[in-house]
Amino acid sequence: MDSKTLVTLTTIVCASIGVVLGSVIPCWMEGRAAEKALEGIARQPEAADRLRATLFIAMALIETGAIYALLVALVLIFANPLLTRFF
Amino acid sequence: MDDVFPHIVWTFGGIGIEDTVLATWAIIVLVIGAVALVKRRWPAALESLIEFLSDSTSLVMGRPAEPFLPLLATLAIFVGAANSAGIFPGLRAPTRSINTTAALALVVFGSVHYYGIRARGLGAYLRGLADPVFLLPLEIIGQFSRTFAMALRLFGNVLSAEMIVAVIFSIVPLFVPLPLIGLSLLTGLLQAYILTILAAVYVGAAVGASDPIPNGRSS
Repeated sequence: MDSKTLVTLTTIVCASIGVVLGSVIPCWMEGRAAEKALEGIARQPEAADRLRATLFIAMALIETGAIYALLVALVLIFANPLLTRFF
Repeated sequence: MDDVFPHIVWTFGGIGIEDTVLATWAIIVLVIGAVALVKRRWPAALESLIEFLSDSTSLVMGRPAEPFLPLLATLAIFVGAANSAGIFPGLRAPTRSINTTAALALVVFGSVHYYGIRARGLGAYLRGLADPVFLLPLEIIGQFSRTFAMALRLFGNVLSAEMIVAVIFSIVPLFVPLPLIGLSLLTGLLQAYILTILAAVYVGAAVGASDPIPNGRSS
């Protein structure tokens, strides 16, 4: 197996692992954040506005990690810089 | 698939101008035109948009957001229009380039320090940054990292959405990309809202924490 094939194979495997981890872990954590926010709203409906605003901010920050993983995976698969730089 | 990444259309003295710059100008003209059109027939729509942005930012800042609305509402409207620019024929979202999002993040970075120094004075603002002095390096790193994260968050969301639509389009062009285009519209507007809210939080923290409003309404 020549080195170009090896690099392609490695990047595909690593991109897949990255997308899996980068999807499951942030989704799980966002679910936990939503769970706590819903508990808070159920306990104190008058604080619903502040809780909703805080929940949105928290979800966006968690989502950022997922987007980092997705971006790296997409760039590796479709516009792989390693293939053009070293070959 | 080549159109997803921005390409250089003109070089000016050694610096390449990307097509996202032209798209940005087109979006500016379109937004001003749309507002001029809507202003006469449905002024209540514009009022309710500004009221929504003012209430959202006041809620997270803990203070009335009116002095900062020129910055925050402009960010919201421009980024929302820019992320949704794919609807308009011939345009693609200029925020799919890291240059555009980095410029927006630098605007927020500059505004945070400008508003903080204007509100508290240079000495008091710098002392506020070094509140526990051993946390000062962490504070400085934090300032740079959250600016970087703001740019990368917007860029990552928009570029990933565009790439996914382009990939699906290259496989099955008829009807199947439509839900994904809808999803990219949704995430575009959501990211514009998030960017505005985060900018409001940063500016509010720089201007100085005020007393939390008990029932969530401002003044």
